Amino acid sequence: MDYYVTILALYIVVAVVACWGLNLQFGEAGVLNFAYILFVAAGAYTTSILTLGHPSPGGLQEYFWGTNLPWPLPWLASAVVGGVLGIGIGAVSLRRLRGDYQAMVLLVISILGTYLVSAKVSLLNGATGLSQIPAPFQGVLHLGIIGYRLFYLGLSVVAALVVFEILRRIQRAPLGRLLRAMRENEAAASAVGHNVVALRLLVMGVGGAIAALAGAIQVQFIGAWAPSSWTYPETFGLFAAVIVGGRGNLGGVALGAFLVQGVFLEGTVLFPNIANPNLVGASQWISLGALILIFLWFRPQGVLPERRRVFGRQPAPGLLDPASIIGPVEGVSV
Amino acid sequence: MSQVISSLGFGIVTASILLPAAVGFTLQFSTTNVLNIAFGAQMTFAAFIAYLCTQHGVPLWPAMVIAGVFGALSSGLLNRLLLAPFQRRGTSFFGMIVVTIALALVIEYVVEIIWGPSSVSYPLQGGKAVHIGSMIFSQEQLIVIGVGVVIALCTHALLRYTRIGKAMRAVAANPALAKSSGIRAQRVTDFAWAASGLMAGMAGVMLGISVSSVSYTMGDTFLIEIIAAAVLGGVGQVYGAMVGALVIGVLLEESAIVLSGAYAPIAAFAVLILVLMVRPTGLFAGTAKVKGIA
Repeated sequence: MDYYVTILALYIVVAVVACWGLNLQFGEAGVLNFAYILFVAAGAYTTSILTLGHPSPGGLQEYFWGTNLPWPLPWLASAVVGGVLGIGIGAVSLRRLRGDYQAMVLLVISILGTYLVSAKVSLLNGATGLSQIPAPFQGVLHLGIIGYRLFYLGLSVVAALVVFEILRRIQRAPLGRLLRAMRENEAAASAVGHNVVALRLLVMGVGGAIAALAGAIQVQFIGAWAPSSWTYPETFGLFAAVIVGGRGNLGGVALGAFLVQGVFLEGTVLFPNIANPNLVGASQWISLGALILIFLWFRPQGVLPERRRVFGRQPAPGLLDPASIIGPVEGVSV
Repeated sequence: MSQVISSLGFGIVTASILLPAAVGFTLQFSTTNVLNIAFGAQMTFAAFIAYLCTQHGVPLWPAMVIAGVFGALSSGLLNRLLLAPFQRRGTSFFGMIVVTIALALVIEYVVEIIWGPSSVSYPLQGGKAVHIGSMIFSQEQLIVIGVGVVIALCTHALLRYTRIGKAMRAVAANPALAKSSGIRAQRVTDFAWAASGLMAGMAGVMLGISVSSVSYTMGDTFLIEIIAAAVLGGVGQVYGAMVGALVIGVLLEESAIVLSGAYAPIAAFAVLILVLMVRPTGLFAGTAKVKGIA
């Protein structure tokens, strides 16, 4: 039982980190990144390459370069790769295109990524994927399986807390207000002189780094990574978590990640199989779809909605203050 | 050289399947402003309905028509029961995308539960192969091409010469103005969804015939090519989608000669992204506006 609980706990931590990154893009800034899982994959592959060591000729798997760095360098490097990739893909897809085109082009890029990695075997072992990715300190620490898992869980919780603190600060800072202003009314934000393209690239970079970190944490735990781990519907699973939990609210998003990714998607795998395993998988996805629809209909703001932020004392109604003329800017529900 | 021409044959077949799909996708988008990610799943469902018909002794081509009608009806119903209520509530453009994604998940896995995860295939006659130059077509492929051409012509006639087609163009160009000049928006929307479902159904069966297998992920995979064709032509541009279908279809097959097969889709999508870098609105946005097709 402990065995499953530790696995599930780690999956949930990974999902929470990934959903927080997505929330920065989708929840705060309104950027619809349909290629999000690509960044998780980039982080997972980076960490794999940086821990597997040099590929041995005629070995089990092929990949380019490869080295063996001590923890936490692979995780940090993954975040850097994710960030750079985010800015790069953002520069291609978000600069000149209209909103609907952006979403579609990002979806196409996500699929391009899986095609490319599957087709070029010498890059990252193709469709078979990489395996035997070492976990940090496993040889040094003499802990049992459960003991080591708890240790690893501790490492990932620390990483999650760092991410949380960064995001909380962004949310409260003037930058957070700017992102929400862009989400609510992009034309107005740019009319008052803010560079919305730079803002979008920024959230693509930061969000991409967080996604990559989530991938890095996950890959050192499960020890394997292949194109089938990051097909584009996975992105929609993360979107579902953000919507169900409450976009724009870090606690809500964490709850959504717990509910959707933890209990709903991973938890049901651990249940005894009632019918054939295919049916379980399919009914899981069907209920995920239904869950999204039900939430969008009955509670589009999520379980824990975004808090309405009010700054300073509210003036008495009727008094002449700027807010009553131009209307509320902050926390307007979508 | 002969390889280039024989691949062109495959490209034309792929393009004739992409054509109804991309036209249906973009026609519905331009009139209703809903980006329908469930389009691929609708194709799959209709393809399986045709399979069900052939299992019960219905010949393939009537089964294709039945699948088209099923697609039209189910698509119209989906709009009335699910998508239109969401839109009336003021769900944002991106919210609607998420709704159709959820819908796609539901449809796709309902299909998996009903028909199982392994692929099935239609009973094909095979028949005599037809040689045109160094292009070789099976008889089924020729009919698929024919159906594609007929659908293109019908769409053109619909948009040019019928009242409902003109109304659709009006709604696409300016919904508010169209409404205030007395066009019944509800009817136009219903018609657009039904037409797009019809084309999804036909395209699903055509795809099943062409790749000689039908599986629950079929439409999902093909959706990317549909999106590529539609975006290349300019989203919402029906004639653009036709050109986009031709370009993407031929590119997909031709690039398999130069690159190895696994890289072919990469080339086609890379071209799409490059074109958008140069012309962010797709190939046809400008000319379409001038001609009043938009």
